[in-house]
Amino acid sequence: MSHLIVSKNVSVSYRWRQDPVLKGVSGTFDGKFLILGPNGSGKTTFFRAICGLTNIASGEILIDGRSVEGIYASTGVISTNFQEVYTLIGSNVHDIIRLYTDLADGDSDFAFKVIDDLGLTMDLLRKRKLNELSAGQTRIVCTALALALKSKHVLLDEPFEELDPARKGRMVKKLDEYEGVILANTHETWLLKNLQEWGVFFMFEGILYGPVSVRDLLKAEISFADEPGALLRVRVADKTVSLLEGSGGTLLTSLENLDKIYELAGGS
Amino acid sequence: MTRYLEMNAKSLLTNPYLIFWSIFFIEFWVFMWAYVFGNGIPPIEEAVRAYTAMGYGNLLMLSLSGACITIANSLLFSSRSVRFVTKYTKLSPSRFLLENILSSLIALLAVSGIMFISVFLVFSSKFGMFPLPTNVGGLIFSTFIGTFFIYAMSLFMNLVIVILRAPKSASFISFLPLILGFTAYMALWIDFGVASYILPFNCIVSVCYYFFAGQSPSTGNYFAPGEKTLVDINLALASLLAWAAMLIVLDIILLKKMRGIGVEEMRMA
Repeated sequence: MSHLIVSKNVSVSYRWRQDPVLKGVSGTFDGKFLILGPNGSGKTTFFRAICGLTNIASGEILIDGRSVEGIYASTGVISTNFQEVYTLIGSNVHDIIRLYTDLADGDSDFAFKVIDDLGLTMDLLRKRKLNELSAGQTRIVCTALALALKSKHVLLDEPFEELDPARKGRMVKKLDEYEGVILANTHETWLLKNLQEWGVFFMFEGILYGPVSVRDLLKAEISFADEPGALLRVRVADKTVSLLEGSGGTLLTSLENLDKIYELAGGS
Repeated sequence: MTRYLEMNAKSLLTNPYLIFWSIFFIEFWVFMWAYVFGNGIPPIEEAVRAYTAMGYGNLLMLSLSGACITIANSLLFSSRSVRFVTKYTKLSPSRFLLENILSSLIALLAVSGIMFISVFLVFSSKFGMFPLPTNVGGLIFSTFIGTFFIYAMSLFMNLVIVILRAPKSASFISFLPLILGFTAYMALWIDFGVASYILPFNCIVSVCYYFFAGQSPSTGNYFAPGEKTLVDINLALASLLAWAAMLIVLDIILLKKMRGIGVEEMRMA
């Protein structure tokens, strides 16, 4: 059976009568995908919902045909780089990696190798707890651990944030080499040219759009009009934004990150 | 068993909060029991034995409650991790609970041992004698059951916080076992009557007293002279076991239901 995550009309609210953070999100994920969206668009909440770490108000998430709600004690199904899932005991990072790879039938040597490749020493891992690392170091450890659990589906929340450019490049390579479904969310668009075989979804204001291929997106320009031949149309700040080639607008990949789209929408 | 059992036990045994609340904080009360509350106890073996049994039961209950605050609090802060490992690792909710209980019991029984040695040394120094428990096996058993109950209750309260998403109540609810432990202290001056079978903390004290002193304690008002109603130990033990069993079943149900609260959300509450 192919590896598949299916989201069916998923809505999530954190508080009763609060506006939903996710508004009927539907999508099928069967390969490597980036979910691009500005900060606060609901990407992290969507990943939590896929992992079963937050209540779903309506809709359903299926992992390889099984409802996420009914999955228990199943190794190799999902892993993630959320720091909050690696706080089971208050030990040093080295022991945490050994514990989680043992519990999930993962490969601790793989985790240590990825971490070493990204410039963290074993000595540091033995001396520090996870919450004593810098934000970038924490990101490296958690992402390495997510990959080392050898899951069919890996969800990576902003895996490139807080990393220096050299480490970002090496991290991109690690993800590209991984065999399995990867969903990585980010608000950075610079990495599109490095992941040309991947697919892309967009998330704005709790709504998921897509998929489109990275290759198509590389040439896409932003138009603040409802263009009939557009590659994709999304709603941003009550405006329709079309992504299409040859519109004469700003090249999507020239944006530093997707937060800038609100500035452009405000000025259009 | 997985590596979690060993690593969690090690982590708890070196946890500074657990060491403070269950040992150093209670040491103050050990001295109070010996040198302040115990001033009127005649230096007769029978009287000292009964008083020591009462002291050990109460102090153990407070010490274990303090330890459980730390254990349950650590679970509260790692509730998302608990959710994750029970879904995507070998640890099912019931297996996680079993390994967590066993590793916690290792730490709590170590605390109980330290409390016993501490009471032995301080009371011996005060009274010039230390009558040993009449039934060591029974005392270990009652310590085990008491520990198990307090653990189950602390976990239950913290899971309720997670389910209700009420991290603002966390500090109060986490301390509830210790607060309830102190309310059981009231039995020293108040006769609880039938309620002493319903109140699990009173049952812990009664059961420990029975196996230490070799006789049933009264249902309360220990220091007052006159005739008193004695506790039926079988009933107290049955009540304690029923409480523990009920709470463990609820813990498993809640463990499956809860989604966890993020660490940041806990810190901001």
